[in-house]
Amino acid sequence: MHRLLETLIRRAVASALAVMVVAGPFTAPAQQPGGDSQLRQEIDALKEQLRRVEQQMRQQEELIRRLTSPPAAPPGAPPATAPPGAPPPPAVTAPPRPLTPPPGTAPAYVPDVEELKRMVLQEIQPQLAAANKTFPSQFNPAIGFVVDTVFSHSRQNKSNFEFRSAEIGISGNIDPFARAYGIINGTTDGVDVEEAAIVTTSLPWGLTVKGGRFFADFGRLSTFHDHDLPFVNRPLVLDEYVGGESQADGVEVNWLVPIPHYVSFTAGMYNKIGADNERVDNRVPRDLSEFTYLARLSTYFNLTEYLGVDLGTSDAYTPEVRIEGLKPRNLFGVDLTVRYTPPSQAAYRGLIWGTEFLINHEARPGIVPTEDSPNQVFRFKDAFGLYSYLEARLTRRYYPGVLYQWVQDIDRPSLVTWSISPYFTIWLSEFQRLRLQYAHVDSNRPGTRPSDDQFFLQWTAVIGSHVHGFRDR
Amino acid sequence: MRRLLLPVLAVVVALLPADVGAAKKIRIVTTITDLADITRQVTGDLADVTSIATGVEDVHAVPMKPSFAVTLNRADVVILMGLEMEHAFLPGLLEASRNPKIQRDQPGYIDSSVYVTPLEVPTRLDRSLGDIHPMGNPHFNLDPGNGKNIVRAIVDGLSRNYPEHAAAFKKNGDAYNARLDEAIARWQREAAPLKGKKFVSYHPDMIYLAERFGMIQFGTIEIRPGIDPTPAHVADLIERMRQNKVDLVIRELHYPAGLASTVAQSTGAKLVEIPSMVRGVPEARDYISLIDYNVRTLVNAVKGG
Repeated sequence: MHRLLETLIRRAVASALAVMVVAGPFTAPAQQPGGDSQLRQEIDALKEQLRRVEQQMRQQEELIRRLTSPPAAPPGAPPATAPPGAPPPPAVTAPPRPLTPPPGTAPAYVPDVEELKRMVLQEIQPQLAAANKTFPSQFNPAIGFVVDTVFSHSRQNKSNFEFRSAEIGISGNIDPFARAYGIINGTTDGVDVEEAAIVTTSLPWGLTVKGGRFFADFGRLSTFHDHDLPFVNRPLVLDEYVGGESQADGVEVNWLVPIPHYVSFTAGMYNKIGADNERVDNRVPRDLSEFTYLARLSTYFNLTEYLGVDLGTSDAYTPEVRIEGLKPRNLFGVDLTVRYTPPSQAAYRGLIWGTEFLINHEARPGIVPTEDSPNQVFRFKDAFGLYSYLEARLTRRYYPGVLYQWVQDIDRPSLVTWSISPYFTIWLSEFQRLRLQYAHVDSNRPGTRPSDDQFFLQWTAVIGSHVHGFRDR
Repeated sequence: MRRLLLPVLAVVVALLPADVGAAKKIRIVTTITDLADITRQVTGDLADVTSIATGVEDVHAVPMKPSFAVTLNRADVVILMGLEMEHAFLPGLLEASRNPKIQRDQPGYIDSSVYVTPLEVPTRLDRSLGDIHPMGNPHFNLDPGNGKNIVRAIVDGLSRNYPEHAAAFKKNGDAYNARLDEAIARWQREAAPLKGKKFVSYHPDMIYLAERFGMIQFGTIEIRPGIDPTPAHVADLIERMRQNKVDLVIRELHYPAGLASTVAQSTGAKLVEIPSMVRGVPEARDYISLIDYNVRTLVNAVKGG
């Protein structure tokens, strides 16, 4: 308000100066040679200009008078009608202030600068917020960057500083109907588009359609990026059966079932599921029977205010896998997550138990082809695997946990690997994390040590935009 | 797969709600309990109001339960605090809700901060400053003066969505604001002993309350917003508090008790424990009783009660 008054005064001074400038040459032309009629025209024009300046000054005076008039009528008087354009009374209660009118002027309420400032700020706050949104750069997508690096040591694999990934995430709305996001991941193997997908945002009936490259909705931790996992490495069963992250090129429809209980259903069609799944080449077109089809049903039970259970079941079915003699493959999984979260201490206390159990039913190479029997023989094999972890939240910073894994080899289910891994995560802040993990691994697979001990130290950090996605809970 | 799909669909269709034809109230979901109480005051019997938070949570760490996605899916309107206060849970839940009516910038997305003058708006956005809010400190609900701004935003927002009820919303809002005016005048008198008192809180969420009652925020136990303290920070804070004779340590009830107690004992400051939302303690049944409780607790502490 202080600025407004200053502006008005400045304008009044400028107007007066304009009048003086106009009046300056008013007498001069009388000394110049020229006809009377021309002189009269100039005088008339100047008079008109002067009249406009006077009118403008009167308007400004009126505006100042309105702004400094008392906001409230005396007791008993009818409420005064605010003049058009005048600010409404303040929404914040302010204590009454003693007012002393200057000598020779009519008594008038003069709000102090702070009160006027508050009134004006309240009025213009929505407009300021709206104006802020019109900056051109506001249309740039949100960008985040994640660095994930691990030092590892094991008797079998020796020691290494492993630069796991430098990941750039970009996301933004496309239009009122959809948004898009991309995850570009650089590793020692090169740069890869990990995800690049379009997601609808305004479909009716609780539907969402996703298309492009994304993590298919299979299980729970398959949809997590490596750096988002609760432990250093992806569980073996997900690495071997799914193929790491559930990356898939395709389309997926998700339906939030319109009932009072949370039930979510996903159906998808993809070239394949699994970033490291080498059964199918994304670049080679295929018959409809060679796509992978997914169905997932998940639900949630709020057992108490403190205790919640997520339960899901997923099935990925490929009718014909070309490199396996056009035999079908079925990957079935059940995931269970139990969360204990005291609401008043959710930031620094809690317990989570997460488990996934997978069954892979697939025709695998039975015998190695020889000259005598050159045709590869495929035999259906069922392999099982699971992981289960328990993680506590002791403070906002310290998260200890333990991970147990047991997995059968897909080709020879009698070959089993199991491991147990205590780990300790230190969240230096929401954006930086250190994790120490030990793993004892036992395996009867040929070519591996029957027993190995592994140590990991992981350091992960994120800068820029970050989101708390529902999927990453 | 077809054999699996059909029974699932049949079960789902059978479970569809049959509320067609019933006189429907406006279904409003608020993020916190303060907004739920104020919204009930504004809507009267016209709406069913549900809050995501129960009142005891840290509003920056409300658990993102799938059941909230269902609640939001069925909502006509969502009312939030704004200034990115609900950043940790609301955007994710809104996306999961699949409800186009209440997505950001839709009419059903009512931001109660639009008439609030934010404090502590950062002049620089940098994560080295902690988990700062780019649009300013979002804990404005603890200043009852801003309660009136919340009422105004809710009345405006609901009237935009339901113009047929605009007169009722305005009437109820005006009546509630009159009650708030009376209460604010009373709180100003009662809180006179708080004027000029220095305090340390766990998180920088007391600034609006401090501004209202003339208190002075000396520091926070957190090293930066959202960043847990280090031993060096706590030692430095204790030393500076002793030198500057800080009067109070305020622990918001959703933060750990031990450290706040240690800081208070080490400095001779009085430890005060207050809720930051309606229903944070049993006495804080509604917005007015929340401010009542906070003012009374602070004044008692200052008076040595």
